[in-house]
Amino acid sequence: MKHFLRINRLGIALLLLVSLASCTTTTIDEFRQGETGIENNESVVILGRRQASDYETRSEFVECVGEGMTRGENSISIVPEQEFIDAMFPWFEPRTAPLRTRDLERLMTEAVVSQKMTEFGVRYIVWLDGFTETTDRSGSISCTIGPGGAGCFGFGSWEDDANFNARVWDVSSLTNVGTISTDATGQSYLPAFIIPIPLIARVEANACSRLATQLKDFVNGS
Amino acid sequence: MNRVRGLMRGRVRTVLILVTALYLTACGVNNVVIEGSFPTPNINKLPLNVAVYYDPALTEFAYIEYSETGSEEYNIASGQSHIELFSTVLPAMFDGVVVVESIEEAEALGVDAIFAPIIEEFQLALPAKTKLDVYEIWIKYNMRLMTADGDYIADWVLTSYGKTPSESLRSVEAAINAAAIVALRDLASSFSLSFSQVPEVKDWLNTL
Repeated sequence: MKHFLRINRLGIALLLLVSLASCTTTTIDEFRQGETGIENNESVVILGRRQASDYETRSEFVECVGEGMTRGENSISIVPEQEFIDAMFPWFEPRTAPLRTRDLERLMTEAVVSQKMTEFGVRYIVWLDGFTETTDRSGSISCTIGPGGAGCFGFGSWEDDANFNARVWDVSSLTNVGTISTDATGQSYLPAFIIPIPLIARVEANACSRLATQLKDFVNGS
Repeated sequence: MNRVRGLMRGRVRTVLILVTALYLTACGVNNVVIEGSFPTPNINKLPLNVAVYYDPALTEFAYIEYSETGSEEYNIASGQSHIELFSTVLPAMFDGVVVVESIEEAEALGVDAIFAPIIEEFQLALPAKTKLDVYEIWIKYNMRLMTADGDYIADWVLTSYGKTPSESLRSVEAAINAAAIVALRDLASSFSLSFSQVPEVKDWLNTL
């Protein structure tokens, strides 16, 4: 009985240690280049950059940041990315989207673009660029199945690194008003003793929530 | 004892049938029919009446991707999605658009121009082969514009590119479809914005 209790205690201690270790570190860096502020009738559109050849900013991350900005105190009205891109078609496709504020200035001379921008009430365009990379995979898990049952044994771990930056363009002044960068890292573990127990570090979710909060404050001018 | 043996034989037979079925399924080609919707371009219309001729090489276009062992892996049918795309884009570009069954039919209609697109090349890049976390599709087109009499106006090459990130819960077929839709949108955007900038088309438009 004593032996069983000792093993049980050891198991709980190990589990606690691993769950504590699977947390995320997030760093936010803000660079302000201009004054900001937003009226109640104005909105923000968050767009993912998709020009890079080996990765693209996931639309799920863009959506997550947008949702984060619509929640809580000083919430902001967000225009859904796909709705905006479809309404502006073909001006915000990967090949045609403005890369610099100078390109946006030229684009705004197109009557149809400026008209749609006014219809949506877009005051700021936020360009999100980045991705989450998984590195340092180690360990192994093997699963077996037999007449007596099935089970997995082993231990696996990996590190996730989410790196995103958000450039904020003011549509009224056609200038870049700032950049916010976020870097989140976290170690995930997958111990398996009969059943695998995933202890996942919520790296991208943390990067999203911190970036959304920072962007909301930035746009509100606080 | 005989009952146990009979039960075992039955189970072995079921397992063998399942394994054979799985093996046969794994040998077959995966068919992907590109499906999606396309937004109407927000551009200024040209005051032209254009007849569109879709060559069967375009309407029935299918690309086959072979595995490293040389067997057919994916059969991607994108002909119909191209027709849907042009049916959305062309009416936004020109005042009048009519689809014709042959060049002769278009000549009889007395339109300003006849437009005939065709796919020249199609390439697919899978993450398993490129070791990148994206599915990529690259398509090369030959766009032909003729007068109502069938005489040459312009003949130019246009390329389109689409990619989509690989995701753990998405099937390869769904990822190929998503990359193809991005490539088709790319075609629509570059074609609609660059049409009147093609030198031969520009010269022809100036004569009207």
